[in-house]
Amino acid sequence: MTDERATRPKTSFVGLDNYRLLIQDEGFRHSLWNTVIITVIVVLLTNVLGLAIALLLRKQGRLYSLLRSVYFTPVILSAVVVSVIGRSILADKGLLNSTLVSMGVDNPPGWLTDPSYALYSVSGIMVWQMLGFAVVVYLAGLAGIPVELEEAASLDGAGPWQQFRAITWPMLAPALTINTVMLMISSFKIYDQIAVLTNGGPGTDGTATVAFDVVRTAFSEQRPGVASAMAGIMLVVVAIASVTTLRLLQRREANL
Amino acid sequence: MKTRIPWLRPLFATGVAGVFCLPLYVALVNVFKPSADVVASPLALPAPPTLENLQQVLTRPDGLYWYGLVNSLMLTAASILITTVLAAMAAYRLVRSGRWWSRAVIAVMLTGLMIPPAVIILPVTRILDAVGLMHTMPGAVLVNVGYYLPFAMLVFMGFVRSIPRELEEAAAVDGAGLFRTFWQVVFPLLRPASASVLIFLGVWVWNDFLTPLLVLGPGAGNTVTVGIFRSIGPYQQDFGAVFAFMLLATLPVLVLYLAFQKHFVRGLTGGATKG
Repeated sequence: MTDERATRPKTSFVGLDNYRLLIQDEGFRHSLWNTVIITVIVVLLTNVLGLAIALLLRKQGRLYSLLRSVYFTPVILSAVVVSVIGRSILADKGLLNSTLVSMGVDNPPGWLTDPSYALYSVSGIMVWQMLGFAVVVYLAGLAGIPVELEEAASLDGAGPWQQFRAITWPMLAPALTINTVMLMISSFKIYDQIAVLTNGGPGTDGTATVAFDVVRTAFSEQRPGVASAMAGIMLVVVAIASVTTLRLLQRREANL
Repeated sequence: MKTRIPWLRPLFATGVAGVFCLPLYVALVNVFKPSADVVASPLALPAPPTLENLQQVLTRPDGLYWYGLVNSLMLTAASILITTVLAAMAAYRLVRSGRWWSRAVIAVMLTGLMIPPAVIILPVTRILDAVGLMHTMPGAVLVNVGYYLPFAMLVFMGFVRSIPRELEEAAAVDGAGLFRTFWQVVFPLLRPASASVLIFLGVWVWNDFLTPLLVLGPGAGNTVTVGIFRSIGPYQQDFGAVFAFMLLATLPVLVLYLAFQKHFVRGLTGGATKG
C-alpha cells in the first residue's frame, strides 16, 4: 500500500490507491480474464479427457499399466521442459509449421503469436501435462467401485450408458472433486509456461496471467506497491474460488 | 462392458497413447540428430544417430549444465531433507498435544496450502534482502522449506494419527525423553509417509522455476531448470542442442521415476485418492 519505487527509497502510505488504480487498469483486467479462460479450459478438458482415458485403461493387463505410465510421464517433468517442447513444436518457424509448409500449406498460423490461437495453445500444453494426474486419480476412483454394483446393474438390463450414468459417474464424485480443485489451483498460479511460451504476448498481455503480471510488475517494472495489490486480489480470488468449488462438489458427494 | 471385438480396445488405447506421446517422442528422438535434420523431418528416426548435441551441452564453455546440476542437487537435497524432518517433528507434536493453540497452528498451516508462489514472492524477496540472504543458496533453501512445510505436515499429520500411543507410552516408561521417543519410535514408523514426502518435494523443487530464478540467481549461479530457460534464445532454432540440454537436466528425475514408478504415482497423488 505504498508508492515505493526502487529509485526512491522514501515511501508514503497511499491507502487503497493502488487497488483503485488496478481496478481501472486495462492490462490487469486482461490478465485476470486470461487466467479465468485458461482455468476453465484446463479444468473442463483435463477432466473430460482424463475420465475417458481412465475408462479406456481400466482393464487389468501389462499393456494397460504401461500406458498408464506413459500418461503419467509429463506430470513429473518440469513446466519449463514441457513448455520448451511445446514452443519448439508450435513456434512460428517451429517443427509443426515447418512440417505444414513442406506439406504445401502456404501460411501456417502463428500458434503462439496470433492472438486468436495463443491462449488456447498455452491451455492445450497445460492440459497435456496435467492429463496423467487426472487419469491416475480417476483410475483410483474406478478401482474403488465395488464390482457387484456394476454386475447387478448389467443383470438388471442396464446398457453401458445407463450403467455409467447411474453407478460409475456418481461413484466418481470424490475423484472429480480432487481433480477439479487441484487443476484449479494449478492453473490459477500458472507462470512458468507463460514465461517460456509467449512472455505474456502477443502484444503486451495477450496471454499474461495474474501470476505473470505480478512478477512482471514487481521485478521488471519496479512497481512493488501495485504488484502487492495484484497479489492481494489474486489471493482473495483463489481463496473464494477454491473454497466455493470445494463446498459445491462436496455437497454433491454428500447427496449420493 | 463386453467388447465384441477383443483386439479393438487395446488397439484404440495404444493409438490414443501414441498420439499423446508424440511431443515426448519428438523431444527424445531429435536429441540424436543434427539440427538441420530436425527441422527437415522432425518425426524421422536419427540416421545415423549422433551424440554431438549431448557432447555440446556437456562441454559448454560457460558450464551452464554442470553448474546448474550441482546447484539443483544441493538445493533439492537440502530443501527436502530439512522440510521432511521439520514437518515430521511438527506434525507429531501438533497431533499429540491437541491443545487449542496446536489446532490454531494446524489451521494456519492448512491455509498455506493454497497460496500461489507469485503472491508471496515479493515480500519473501524483501525479507531475504533485509537479512542478507538474497541470491544465496541458504536463502533459496529457506524459501523452499517455508513454502513446502504445510504440504509435508499435512501428509505426516494423517500418518501420526494412525500410530498407536502405547508405543510412545512404553518408550516413556523406559525413560526415553521426548526427542528420543520421536527419533527411535515415531520417525521410523513414519517411513512410508517420509518416502512420499521426499519424492513429491524432490520432483517439485527440482522442477521449480520461479523461486530459483528470482531468489537464487545470478550471484550463486542457478539450477538446471533456470538453465534450460537461459539456453533458449528469443529465436531458438538449435533444436537438437536444446532438447539435449533438457534430457540431461531431466535425467535424475526420469531415472528415479523409472526405478520407483509405483511410489511416484502413489506419492504424487497420495492421500488425495484415499476416500
